[in-house]
Amino acid sequence: MRAMHPLNWVVVIAWLAYVAIDGLRRARGTKHIEGYFLANRNLPWWAVGLSVMATQLSAVTMIGTTGQGAVDGMRFVQFYFGLPLAMVILGVTIVPFLHGAKVFTAYEFLERRFDAKTRSLTAFLFLLSRGMSCGTILAAPAVVFSAIFGWPIGWCVLLMGVPTVLYTMIGGVQAVTWADVKQMVLIVVAITAMVTVLLVRIPVSPSDALHLAGATGRLRVFDFTFSLKNTYTFWSGLIGGTFLMLSYFGTDQSQVQRYLTARSVDEARSSLLISAYWKIPLQAMVLLIGVLVFVFYQFETPPMLYNPVQERKVREAQPAALATLQSRFDTAVAARLAAARAVSTARKAGDDAATSATAEFRVRDSAATAVRTEALALVEKTTGQQSKDVNYIIPRFVVEQLPIGLAGLFIAGVMAAAMSAIAAELNSLATATVIDFYRRWFRKEASDAHFLTVSKGATAFWGLFAMVVASYAATLGSLIEVVNRFGSFFYGSILGVFILAMIPRARATGAFVGLIVGMLTVAAVNFGAPQVAFLWHNVVGAVTVVVVGMLVSGGRATTPAAASAVQ
Amino acid sequence: MTQPSDDAPDNGRFRRTLIRVISVQIVTLLLLGLLQYRYSR
Repeated sequence: MRAMHPLNWVVVIAWLAYVAIDGLRRARGTKHIEGYFLANRNLPWWAVGLSVMATQLSAVTMIGTTGQGAVDGMRFVQFYFGLPLAMVILGVTIVPFLHGAKVFTAYEFLERRFDAKTRSLTAFLFLLSRGMSCGTILAAPAVVFSAIFGWPIGWCVLLMGVPTVLYTMIGGVQAVTWADVKQMVLIVVAITAMVTVLLVRIPVSPSDALHLAGATGRLRVFDFTFSLKNTYTFWSGLIGGTFLMLSYFGTDQSQVQRYLTARSVDEARSSLLISAYWKIPLQAMVLLIGVLVFVFYQFETPPMLYNPVQERKVREAQPAALATLQSRFDTAVAARLAAARAVSTARKAGDDAATSATAEFRVRDSAATAVRTEALALVEKTTGQQSKDVNYIIPRFVVEQLPIGLAGLFIAGVMAAAMSAIAAELNSLATATVIDFYRRWFRKEASDAHFLTVSKGATAFWGLFAMVVASYAATLGSLIEVVNRFGSFFYGSILGVFILAMIPRARATGAFVGLIVGMLTVAAVNFGAPQVAFLWHNVVGAVTVVVVGMLVSGGRATTPAAASAVQ
Repeated sequence: MTQPSDDAPDNGRFRRTLIRVISVQIVTLLLLGLLQYRYSR
């Protein structure tokens, strides 16, 4: 493996230093907890909107999703089909409720509407799931960088974790938001530069490149089959995805806190609409990077195994078996390269020639893929671990193939994605810890200075927690799905409680019982019918909570407090 | 819950926003569909 040019490291270090120092400068105006947690509700909509996007887009997107594009194509984009609709629905439902209520956390609103136990349970679930996912989000790029650059995982975790914790702890939400704005700009620049460089480096026309990708099914975006078992279909994305996005953007403090910092309800709505307009095109671009990397490797010799650590282990344990596979792979790749070139030539000659050349290319690609599948099986047999090779495709391409400077830009972009996601989560974890637990149960009255000190301590605690979890998370499963699965286990049920909060007839006992029954139902579906795709868990959870909540609430008259909270 | 008067529900504005967002999505999905139709046959 080729080492990265020192100039690339200069780009990475300069970027990290710039983000951290600028974040620390933003500490002014954070003398009170309203400023520390909500920026005195005075941030412009576009900064909030970019922060919302940066929070959702983690390093998993930059590494895992692009890799998924290379192996599986564009169909993952269907996962986001519910997002625009969810944003519009939130803009007229939960956003005005939460922003108008002048709360610090979404869960605080639940106590006003229902009772303290519903608030505490939902806030606890948030701390549990987000605390863990924060570690996973940091671990994802750390594991990959560790394998690619040969550093210990702990160092990679510290490289990204320490600056993030510092600026989040000292600067509060101001620092987080303005760092997110810069990180988001860098991410978009890095993604655009990657697509451009790939189109220039691929030795055939963009049309031929897309034809080769399409021939292997990688441009198949839509799957209209209705199946509860398949995660990535049009319907699971549109229906399950809408519920997931409603829950994530409407009830998860890491996102709610972003738009609570906006100047008005209208600005909060506008900030969410940035994602409504741009999320799907951005995800399509991210997946397109993977697809183009796949095409790029039709004309260059690709590694058979992308994870250098696992390759070394197999080379040491099974040298003969690996050598045989490597030789077969080289032959298959050479044949595929010839077939890919033939497709390009044949497309100029006419439709009939192109059709037969494309068919030949498909056969050659299947042969090369089959050898790689055997190699991945050998990895799993030898190491006893899932191969997770897909997460190493893009980082290796970046380090080995991109021009000087651009590789550094992309690595900085991956770190930016990780840091912006973690910063927002640390900030919101600290908010929920202080507002929903410390100030609610332990110290109701104290000076702002006291709460500010406790808040900084809570941010440091969660930062440390995330770094410890990340250092030991090397053995966690698929980078993309772990985060999404963990979140969606509770998400639907929590969304159900917020829907109940907007129904005047719903009562506190109904909401609490509904929440418990909803979570148990999702657990029952998960373990009893594991074939049901996890996106549907959100629908099951939300619907169960609302139905059970309304049944338990019965037809009794609404309490005056509940009615005034809703109106 | 008290809300500022300029944040009062406005069905007309919501409908316009919804139409705008859905229109942009339809164009995005059509482009993706075109990509699939053109290159995946």
